[in-house]
Amino acid sequence: MPTNPSVPNPYLPTPMRVLRAYFESTDRTLKTLELSFENLADKIAFFKKFNPGQFCQLSVFGKGESPLGVASAAWEGDFVRFTVQRMGSVTKALHELKPGDTLGMRGPLGNGFPLADWKGKNLVIIGGGCAFSTLYALTKHVQHPQNRPDFGQLTVIYGARSSGLCMYKHDIQSWYQRDDMEIHQAIDVPEENWDHHVGYVPDVVRQIAPSPDNAVAIVCGPPIMTKFTLPALVSLGFPPEAIFTSLEKRMKCGLGKCGRCNIGSKYICKDGPVFSLAELNALPADI
Amino acid sequence: MSELEQKIRSEAERLLKEGLVDVVIAFRKEDAPLRPQPAFFTHPEDLENLTYNGLCANNLANYLTRYPRETRIGMLVRGCENRSVNALIVEKQHSRENLYLIGIPCTGIIDWRKVIALTGEDILGYEDTDSTLIVRARHQTFRLPRQELLHPSCQRCVHPNPLSADILLGEALPEGDPTLIRARVESFEALSREERTAFFRQEAERCIRCYACREACPMCYCEECFVDHNTPRWTESGTTPAGTHAWHIIRAFHQTGRCTSCGACERACPMDIQMTYLTDKLGKDMWDYYQFAAGMDDKTQPPFAAFTMDDKKHFQAGGKLS
Amino acid sequence: MKYLLPKNELYSRLARWSAEYSILAPQKVGEYSEFLPFTAQSELCLQEPHNTRYPAKALFFPQSETILKYNRISGQLESAAPESQKRIVFGIRPCDAKAVTLLDTVFAEGDNQDPFWLARRAETFLIGLGCHEPCATCFCTSTESGPFHTEGLDALLTDLGEVFFVETLSERVEALFSELSPAEAAQQEIALAVQAAAEKSLPKVFELDGIKEKLDRVFDKEIWAELSQSCLGCGICTFLCPTCFCFDLVDEAQRGTRVRNWDTCMYRVYSLEASAHNPRPTRRERTRQRLMHKYSYWWEHAGKLGCTGCGRCVRYCPVGLDIRAMIKKASAYESEAQHAN
Repeated sequence: MPTNPSVPNPYLPTPMRVLRAYFESTDRTLKTLELSFENLADKIAFFKKFNPGQFCQLSVFGKGESPLGVASAAWEGDFVRFTVQRMGSVTKALHELKPGDTLGMRGPLGNGFPLADWKGKNLVIIGGGCAFSTLYALTKHVQHPQNRPDFGQLTVIYGARSSGLCMYKHDIQSWYQRDDMEIHQAIDVPEENWDHHVGYVPDVVRQIAPSPDNAVAIVCGPPIMTKFTLPALVSLGFPPEAIFTSLEKRMKCGLGKCGRCNIGSKYICKDGPVFSLAELNALPADI
Repeated sequence: MSELEQKIRSEAERLLKEGLVDVVIAFRKEDAPLRPQPAFFTHPEDLENLTYNGLCANNLANYLTRYPRETRIGMLVRGCENRSVNALIVEKQHSRENLYLIGIPCTGIIDWRKVIALTGEDILGYEDTDSTLIVRARHQTFRLPRQELLHPSCQRCVHPNPLSADILLGEALPEGDPTLIRARVESFEALSREERTAFFRQEAERCIRCYACREACPMCYCEECFVDHNTPRWTESGTTPAGTHAWHIIRAFHQTGRCTSCGACERACPMDIQMTYLTDKLGKDMWDYYQFAAGMDDKTQPPFAAFTMDDKKHFQAGGKLS
Repeated sequence: MKYLLPKNELYSRLARWSAEYSILAPQKVGEYSEFLPFTAQSELCLQEPHNTRYPAKALFFPQSETILKYNRISGQLESAAPESQKRIVFGIRPCDAKAVTLLDTVFAEGDNQDPFWLARRAETFLIGLGCHEPCATCFCTSTESGPFHTEGLDALLTDLGEVFFVETLSERVEALFSELSPAEAAQQEIALAVQAAAEKSLPKVFELDGIKEKLDRVFDKEIWAELSQSCLGCGICTFLCPTCFCFDLVDEAQRGTRVRNWDTCMYRVYSLEASAHNPRPTRRERTRQRLMHKYSYWWEHAGKLGCTGCGRCVRYCPVGLDIRAMIKKASAYESEAQHAN
């Protein structure tokens, strides 16, 4: 018989304020929001739980909530970054926010990347489109001098449809100068003044052929990219246990209660969004 | 097996065997007592499951819009189903050439809820005859007068015969009394505004927003219903009065000149909500103002969907009739 | 403890309880019954062999409920206060009471417990009425429940004609019945006979053993297309289901509230994504989700079946779909397909 302990309302967002807001892509479909906490206690609670790969539900009151992957690492500062693709009514409203505006946030939600299991491993990070945002958070996390020794080689492969859609341009440009990682960027079709890869991500992965030895590969991208990248990694010799991906589905509660984001018996919001290919192979094709 | 059922089966068999249609939409024997199910026959050997009696409650025209216009469909149609098919053809939801309508003069659909209220649920078998429904329950056999068991929409049905069937199985029935459906609307119209509001609220506010009325209706085939639209949202969500009122009013209005009074919405409703008093009222208005009744042929556009130069313009210029 | 509650004392007993508790009991609304507050004018509907049409879960998890209020201008946020009231739900059927315990595993266990559910649940006593005449659409004996099962109940009543045989099942309701005369062994024997007869009148329609595995194996098979062909895609089966708990969160902009509404996997828009991708694009996938959730995924989430056999989805499906037949067909599909080969 349940008793009635005074539990907090898990659907109540924490108040946040827009610190910075800027377009990420030349076509203005991608906008980055950096949010600061209104209450110190919320900030402490957030960073105590936060792990790259997790997501939050952002609330625009009167419109609703939208799940978005966190695009910043904890060490970057007292803010949380999201890159929002304008799609439906909530993301449209998020795009309209200006610095100083308030909004709600619930999170961090989901499992995030199993960083403890990856200790001492080489990381091959493969992203496409705006789903790269959580991989950006992961890369930023790994890059920190305190975290860097925990991992071996770091290889990042990031594809976008065109150079105008490449996110975090300035920062990623600086990665080419780093000697502790490899960065490969790709666009789908040739453009003038583009001196990186041209082609789809799965082909670029095959071409670069990262070594599966003592490595894990992390893939986040549009479903079609993920669908073709996973077999490419398998053919390079990555075992299913060493391939990870982050899934998306329509979500509401983010807590494994509202029922809609399940694949078989697993809820993406609670048991995921990060799954290994081995775990996915054991689930029905329900996505 | 009734003679009629045998005739339907033979015709369906002929259509499938001769390759005249890709599918025959009819009914099959029930799993739950008194509840024959819509069924989709593509192989003659499956037809042994075909059934037909007064408990076949669904408007099969509802399934027409699930198929591409190229699919050749054989469909069982009663009076109302045939009118729904006509209305759908007018709205270009299927092409008449690809339909083969197996017409059945309809003696009315029996409301299973009325039956189990009298017999209980423990039913071993039943037989639907001309005037009597014989129900064998576990402890007793009931002989129930058929007319009293009919769904209200069927009790006041005007056109029980299919209007444009390709084959008619059974003798055409006399037309129904057209004053019955009018009388019901008129008795609603005669209520005071407060009484009408009270009646509307009592019905609408029981709604659980399951949209069975929408899904059971052949004319509700929109890819995206107004209640599911969220940019902008048109109605309040949930079961608040504001939400349920808006749903029932707008749903009814979208049926103006399209509803064929088949009553499928009420038969589907899990909360016994009366809805046809609204759609029948709109139907009466369409007749009184425009001499139009939905689905009487497969050519005439409903007045609100068509434009002619001599349209009445009483919605303009201070409400005067032109 | 075991007591006897004479039927002619029932209303006065309820009236006495109502001084301290708000009492909800099945009462007629038109042709069906529903849990409504008991008042001096109430006429209870306890003879009716049918369960209430609307499921009892709504007493703890209302179909529409405000969970928070916001002010769009000031950004002010306020949690709705969970409703807590001392209540007695009288005459709940064993299938519905069991369903409440199943929903406890969603709302009252693990992380992020639901304060709205907890508040209502903790202060509510469930006094059950066993079913001496189960309906033809009932199948509780097949789903780890039964017409006189006690799971979730604080007390169970057995109808013995002139009296109810009362068995208390939790300490907290003992005081409610302590003034009644205790039942004697002979009466208990009669009650047990009534219970056994009811159980026997409802033979199992399927065995649960291995059903999950069988369903898991046919996940991607054509059987689901066949089973869902006539489905209308309405929400009746899930909204009337006592164990379905899916919900939506919606902002009511004009009221400044965020509302939790029941939602259903049977709707197309339920899983439709902003990109227009829908992982469950047709009734085939949606029907599969409903059945698999109850008969497969629940085992993994809670170690239990997610169906209590109340039969509402069978009784009110507008096209006569019967979950019993559907489960039988789906779980037999594999072996049939093997035969065919």
